[in-house]
Amino acid sequence: MKIKMDDDVLKDNNIAANFNRTLFKQNQTLVINIMSAPGAGKTTLLEKTVKALAKEFKIAVIEGDLATERDADRLRALGVKTIQINTVGGCHLDAKMIAKTLPEFQLEEIDILFIENIGNLVCPSGYDLGQDYKAVILSVPEGNDKIPKYPLMFRRTDLTIINKTDLLPYVQFDLEEAQRDLRTINPDAAFLALSSQTAEGMEDWINWLKKAHTHAAFSQN
Amino acid sequence: MHEMSLMAEVLRLVEEDAFERGFMKVDRISIIVGELSNVLPDALELAFCYFQKQECSLISEKTELAIIREEAKARCKECRKEFDPDYRIALCPHCQQLNTEIISGESFQIESYEGSECFEDKNGR
Repeated sequence: MKIKMDDDVLKDNNIAANFNRTLFKQNQTLVINIMSAPGAGKTTLLEKTVKALAKEFKIAVIEGDLATERDADRLRALGVKTIQINTVGGCHLDAKMIAKTLPEFQLEEIDILFIENIGNLVCPSGYDLGQDYKAVILSVPEGNDKIPKYPLMFRRTDLTIINKTDLLPYVQFDLEEAQRDLRTINPDAAFLALSSQTAEGMEDWINWLKKAHTHAAFSQN
Repeated sequence: MHEMSLMAEVLRLVEEDAFERGFMKVDRISIIVGELSNVLPDALELAFCYFQKQECSLISEKTELAIIREEAKARCKECRKEFDPDYRIALCPHCQQLNTEIISGESFQIESYEGSECFEDKNGR
């Protein structure tokens, strides 16, 4: 007997993502899902961001890694409430994993929650976590052709951040071509270039976050 | 590689439905995998073979898996023409404008399944 289903395989993930989204909106918490390849500088950017925003905003972080609490410890050292998720081999975070950590936060007190996804440019793009924005970081040593090579990741994100711009004089990376390629894949995406190390361009990122936070606070419910 | 967990999710959803309907066996599962879904059909098949050998569920080595490939298609919002997108998904090859929408290829769905050998309902319902 044939049974017609027409069910999205990720429907349970989407239910959990909507549950998270409702909680975030109720508490006026801005949530950014940060993705990149391993080593693009997600944690370092977060450290610098926390330092720049700590006086104005209450920040929390969910760290995704296959193993260890290393990244979480780096952020805890700055006094940031951080929950580490170890996926033990899993290549992405899903909405249920995020939902399970939420009781550990006092969301009503948190202005911005960063979710640092597993370092991977493929699988994480397919999972809605309930975030307000998805951001992808591409670091200069990886080469600007990462954008056309992983079009779905760049298509599905609201913001592309080029990181480690202090290395531009030393490696092959064409910033203009990166921006051009991104426009042919996702013309609506914001594009920022910065260096966490030298703080060049950090202001644009901080301003982007402040605007996003204002928007999230006013668009609740 | 997340096809293992995706296939586990497919089987969980199918089995949940099949149990509810009282089937004791699932003979065939049809899934739709879009070209833009980031899901690899070959890896899904491999994962399916692994689960077939577990023999602890409604799925057995006799269960068939049918993968229906959904082509990537986009449409330009300016000139309204359809096209097969390459990696430059937002670029219309006809009018060169950057204002397109994906109209197919992103699906990853369970289309249907075939169940057999219903439980005898002792309550006569």
